[in-house]
Amino acid sequence: MSEALVHINGFRMDFGDTTVIRDLSFDVHRGETFGFLGSNGSGKTTTIRALLGIYQPTAGTLHIDGKPFRPEDGGRLGYLPEERGLYKKEKVIDVMTYFGRLKGLDRHAARTWSLEYLERVALADKAGAQLDKLSGGQQQKVQLGVTIMNEPELLILDEPTKGFDPVNRRLLMDIIGEQKTKGATVVMVTHQMEEVERLCDRVILLKNGTAEAYGTIDDVQNQFGGRVLRLRHSGPVPPSPRYTVTVSERNYSELSIADDTDEADILKELIAAGVTVRSFTTTKISLEEIFIRIYGAQNQVATSNFEMAEA
Amino acid sequence: MAQHNLSTVISFEFFRTVGKKRFWIGTLAVPFIMAVVFGLLYASNTATDSAADAQKSAEFSISYTDASGLITPEQAGVFGATTAASAEEGLSAVRSGSVDAFFDFPADPATEAVKVYGADQGLFENNKYSAVAQAMLTRAVDARIGSAELSTLAGTEATVDLKTYRDGVEAGGFMSAVPPLFFLVIFYGLIILLGGQMLSSTLEEKENRVTEMILTTLKPTTLISGKVLALFAIGLLQMVIFSSPVVIGYLFFRDQINIPDFNLSALVFEPVPMITGFLILVGGFALFTNTLVAIGAIMPTVKEAGNYMAVMIALIFVPFYAVSLIFSNPQALIVQVFTYFPFSAPVTALLRNGLGSLGAVEAAFVIAILYIGAVLMFFLAVRLFQYGSISYASRVNIKTALSSGRRTPGIAGTSKS
Repeated sequence: MSEALVHINGFRMDFGDTTVIRDLSFDVHRGETFGFLGSNGSGKTTTIRALLGIYQPTAGTLHIDGKPFRPEDGGRLGYLPEERGLYKKEKVIDVMTYFGRLKGLDRHAARTWSLEYLERVALADKAGAQLDKLSGGQQQKVQLGVTIMNEPELLILDEPTKGFDPVNRRLLMDIIGEQKTKGATVVMVTHQMEEVERLCDRVILLKNGTAEAYGTIDDVQNQFGGRVLRLRHSGPVPPSPRYTVTVSERNYSELSIADDTDEADILKELIAAGVTVRSFTTTKISLEEIFIRIYGAQNQVATSNFEMAEA
Repeated sequence: MAQHNLSTVISFEFFRTVGKKRFWIGTLAVPFIMAVVFGLLYASNTATDSAADAQKSAEFSISYTDASGLITPEQAGVFGATTAASAEEGLSAVRSGSVDAFFDFPADPATEAVKVYGADQGLFENNKYSAVAQAMLTRAVDARIGSAELSTLAGTEATVDLKTYRDGVEAGGFMSAVPPLFFLVIFYGLIILLGGQMLSSTLEEKENRVTEMILTTLKPTTLISGKVLALFAIGLLQMVIFSSPVVIGYLFFRDQINIPDFNLSALVFEPVPMITGFLILVGGFALFTNTLVAIGAIMPTVKEAGNYMAVMIALIFVPFYAVSLIFSNPQALIVQVFTYFPFSAPVTALLRNGLGSLGAVEAAFVIAILYIGAVLMFFLAVRLFQYGSISYASRVNIKTALSSGRRTPGIAGTSKS
């Protein structure tokens, strides 16, 4: 479990005079599901493209299974890029067979696998149809099939649920689960924090080309520290140096508090301020909150409470 | 009511088209090319006038025998002709290259053909031998009659039987020109039929967003090679299919359908022009294919690439602006330019190869230019594909692509995160 399948060390990437990635290092362990997080423009897709040899890195080492990735090893990889599509004017079965062959299957095996997959996702009757005659959701299913052909050891999914309808989102999650069971290593590049918390063993958060946080989800939560106090109440929650109001609704608030702050003191302070507390729970800070904390200031989209707390 | 907002639509559509740089590049390319062609034609015509004057007095070495006794040594001397001991000796001199032409005047030129033997200079250039032989005979007859007017009244042109020799072997004449010209027809057919496919072959990956998945399973060089070779195979298949009705009709149904009787057995397949034509065809096709693939790699859509496709197609028709000079004066400046400019070279050189006016050295140069150009364009296409195939929304800057490291996008790259 601890052996690194993906090893990135000292990776730097310049686009002309602009440095997009600076000295990035991390490992993805064999068999784990790894979350690769970051806002738009933080360098996630660039890192994946460099890892897969599509871009030549300016500096650093990017290895899969101990060596730079080569197209000859493409049969062991399942890659769902952010910008995705298939040959729309070709038949479904022909496209799938073609990709199967590119991944090292012989024609018969590729065709057989494709037909079985299409049967599974209820598209068997579309095997001979032109791809652009399929609905968007059906095309997504075909795309997923192409991604997991040949039982890849490493699945790299760049914004995997982008544009997917709920049915296909569920299918994707099932597929990820299956591939994990079979021993595949999964790298998810995503903004969907709930999915990351549910699926990922470890994560890295990228900001301006550097790792802002890296480790297990617990590690990252601990690294950023703090807990969240969720309150049901009546009366307005006043600002305080003891906490930051991250969610403020009419009768519900979420307060970000430091690890060493006793929630009992906060409750006393709220009651003293005239707030009627009906119920409360305390949880660790969520990845989404960490994400907003990291990128909110950068993108200036944080809530007013968050901005106030930052001030 | 039906015209509501019509002017708005017209204005929008018109100005968004003419406001784009690519529109003007494609549009101005045609008059620019024509201006260059006309300039070259002017220069060539000036030079041709001088050449024509020079050619009137130009001499090629001639020997002759005259069984009719009409031609005196003095009259022959005007043309620089000397007598040969026998017809066999004269012919042998032509074959060996020690003399350019040998004329064998028969005892009765009115009823027998004058036999003319010359060093092969190409289909049209060879006519000078017949013309000079005719002139020698006419001059002799004029002198015998003593009046040019009377000779005009009495005269009919003698029949001339021309044979030419290349490297000591008889050249095929018109029927040897036809087979190499097939390569020209094939070239046009391939480019016109497959040009769009060449252009869209790499655009397809880009427009369909397939590139990244493809590049994780094979190298760009492999992909481009595969596409080019597939286009070759498709082109070959199309040519076979298109020509099959004619061939089948001629071979099996010539009595049932009205196909002009054309004696295929009369065609002469000379090895050198056939091999030359084949090599030019392959080189030219490869150059155009790789160029169109390269254009496809830098353009975001087929629509945007269309303007450049028009320029490429125009280039294969440009040599026909100078077709008369290609026939009459292959050494004219414009013909030389068209022969060696890579994108006009295939048509010009194939035409000249068929007409027999493309020398061995010239052919070697043209073939070298085409193959070197095709190889360079192939690597450029691969480079641009590596760089531009994931530049989904914008046109790739060639300069940036070439100056960046391998597969490294420049500042215009489209990395999103």
